[in-house]
Amino acid sequence: MARLSLAIFSGLLLVAFGCGDTASNSASDSKTENAPDVQSKGTIGFSALTLTNPFFKVIADQMQEEAEKHGYELIVLSAERDVKKQADHVDEFLVKGVSAIILNPCDSNGIGPAIKKANDKGIPVFTNDIKYDGDEGKVVSHVATDNYQGGKLAGDAMVKLLGDSGGKVAILHFPQAESCQLRVKGFHEKVNAHNDKTKNAKIEVVATLDGGGVRDEGFKATKDVIESNSDLAAIFAINDPSALGARAALEAAGKATQVTIIAFDGQQIGKQAILEGKILCDPIQFPDQIGKVTIEQIIKHFNGDDVKPEILIPSKLYYKEDAEKDPLLKKG
Amino acid sequence: MIFMLLMLVILFSLLTVRQQHPTGASAGNQVAKTIFAQHGKEAHVLVVTRSTDEDRAFAQAAVKRLKASGVDVLGEVNGSAADARKAMESILSEGKTIDAIAANHVTAKWTVYDRFPSVGSGKCVTPKPYTWPNFLKVSNLMGVANQTAIYAIIAIGMTMVIITAGIDLSVGSLVALASVSSAIFIRDYCGGANASLFMIIAGILLGIGICAAAGSFNGLMVTAFQIPPFIVTLGMMMMASGLSFRLAEGRSIPELPSMFFWLGRGVTFGVPNPVLLMLILYLIAHFIMSRMVFGRYIYSIGGNEEAARLSGVPVKRVLLAVYTICGALAGLGGIMLTSQLSAGDPKFGLMYELEVIAAVVVGGTSLMGGQGKIFGTLIGAFIIAVIKNGMNLTDVDPFNQKIVLGAVLTAAVLIDRLKRHAG
Repeated sequence: MARLSLAIFSGLLLVAFGCGDTASNSASDSKTENAPDVQSKGTIGFSALTLTNPFFKVIADQMQEEAEKHGYELIVLSAERDVKKQADHVDEFLVKGVSAIILNPCDSNGIGPAIKKANDKGIPVFTNDIKYDGDEGKVVSHVATDNYQGGKLAGDAMVKLLGDSGGKVAILHFPQAESCQLRVKGFHEKVNAHNDKTKNAKIEVVATLDGGGVRDEGFKATKDVIESNSDLAAIFAINDPSALGARAALEAAGKATQVTIIAFDGQQIGKQAILEGKILCDPIQFPDQIGKVTIEQIIKHFNGDDVKPEILIPSKLYYKEDAEKDPLLKKG
Repeated sequence: MIFMLLMLVILFSLLTVRQQHPTGASAGNQVAKTIFAQHGKEAHVLVVTRSTDEDRAFAQAAVKRLKASGVDVLGEVNGSAADARKAMESILSEGKTIDAIAANHVTAKWTVYDRFPSVGSGKCVTPKPYTWPNFLKVSNLMGVANQTAIYAIIAIGMTMVIITAGIDLSVGSLVALASVSSAIFIRDYCGGANASLFMIIAGILLGIGICAAAGSFNGLMVTAFQIPPFIVTLGMMMMASGLSFRLAEGRSIPELPSMFFWLGRGVTFGVPNPVLLMLILYLIAHFIMSRMVFGRYIYSIGGNEEAARLSGVPVKRVLLAVYTICGALAGLGGIMLTSQLSAGDPKFGLMYELEVIAAVVVGGTSLMGGQGKIFGTLIGAFIIAVIKNGMNLTDVDPFNQKIVLGAVLTAAVLIDRLKRHAG
């Protein structure tokens, strides 16, 4: 029986590490084949917030490509929003002897001790999308979307939509996230500026509700809003999933033509909805840019250049016309 | 089970054999020697390291040795690549040449040297690497033990509960509750970051006490009202989680004194405190379960509750105590986690109940009750931790990791079953 159990066990492990093995083998093969001047310059460890959200997957894939171009190898791990798991990842990166670490902090404060540990070992830490807020450790550079500017774009789009008529507007917020606070702040600024100028066509924000940034919460919140404001004219949702939840609620209430939605993000599902006319427009983010710029900062850092502590990538408004030209979307 | 753990350790040691780079003073001496052998006395050498303790020791030793053998040391950089650039710019502008750069494996990989055509990274002299598995590095093994400690501590209580044929699903939420309640107490009533040692201990005891009370409540419902443990503790899991989010208003609480962090991040006799605490608690628990009447009672209740009652075991009191211990240890786990991550947070402890139950079952405790060993649970917890650590060290894709972990857990229990039937 001992032999049988040994066989099962080793069989399982062989299957399990088959993929890991081949990956590392091919990596070491390419190292030996390469001429000395393009040899591997080291590895970079990336602990993502989660890889189930396509946004972070795009960042990871782009960084992988970019890192390879510069002769680095990128290890991607997913912390699944668990800050302890992420701290463990940092430990493992240090054991492996990575040259640099990239994080999407799962907790803007809680990741501090892990960053400090990396600092003590002399490994530079970079963040993207989510900023580290604490003062325990030091982050070399942070790369993210300019959410404040994006919120202003959304405000502009709203003014363009309702500027002549005025009307009631609801916001689907996700107040826990700093990025969303900035988006709503920028939005308010533009709408208020418009209201100061006009007398009759005021845009009135009648409700700000927590849409959780997810479809079902957005659905519920929107149902409540149209219950109490039957003459609602538009909704600003801080991301695509909650906007699509709002759309479903509007369709169920027969108000889909009355209420226009402006969202944020530019995920694949959001762009598709813009193409189909379900969402008017999105200030879109560029996760591929975020990934590329992050790797560029690391290269610069090792090259002895001074690196800016924060780099913001501007977002851009994306309307149906843009969607029709987008080669990545399903048409028809 | 220990056989399984050994197999995993051997496997990961073989899979993670990599080049290692010596650091510190001995490496500095070695590099200085190499430079002297290559270039002789006439060499002009720049020493480039980072500002960490190890690197400074390396630089000091290298500079001392180079100067002793009469080599000209142009300068010493302790910092980033940008600092190295500035140093090289000033040296070259003075018309001096750089013949060699004493660097370690990290600073040698910087691309900054290639900016200057007369330097180039080819001039870096680094210590000679040696081969050793990443998995078997002392720092990694300590890390694995440290990562496991909190799960393992909670698993002690869970082992007792499961041996009585019960289950406790609330431990994950109690971790969050202890974390939040002690952090809020320290922030609001003890002056936050300036709290005294006495108040810190009070805060810790409060957190553990609340969780022990929640555990007693579980025990009371199970014994006095005969509600199945699964339902009672499921209810407690939701209540405790909701309560901690409410208390913390959904945010984390970082206003804690640095003394508080000693528990989770300090090191005593070269061993991280959580690991030390884990070992002590396991020794105590082993003694209780194998040598004391209380332990016998726990086993007999799990074997046959009715028979135990008829033979004079105070079933209700023992069950109440077991659930209270389980709650208190979950609370202790929450305090340790708060200390490690330097903030109280209602999001802590998510899914810990499943991790902990998995450790107990992999460790050979039967979910039917009556069977199991405390040290089996410790080994079970380590099996899970070693698999996770090993997969991260061998670059298994994050999505595949979940599949592998699930499969290996099932296989581990299957093999144990087969062995028991055979033997």
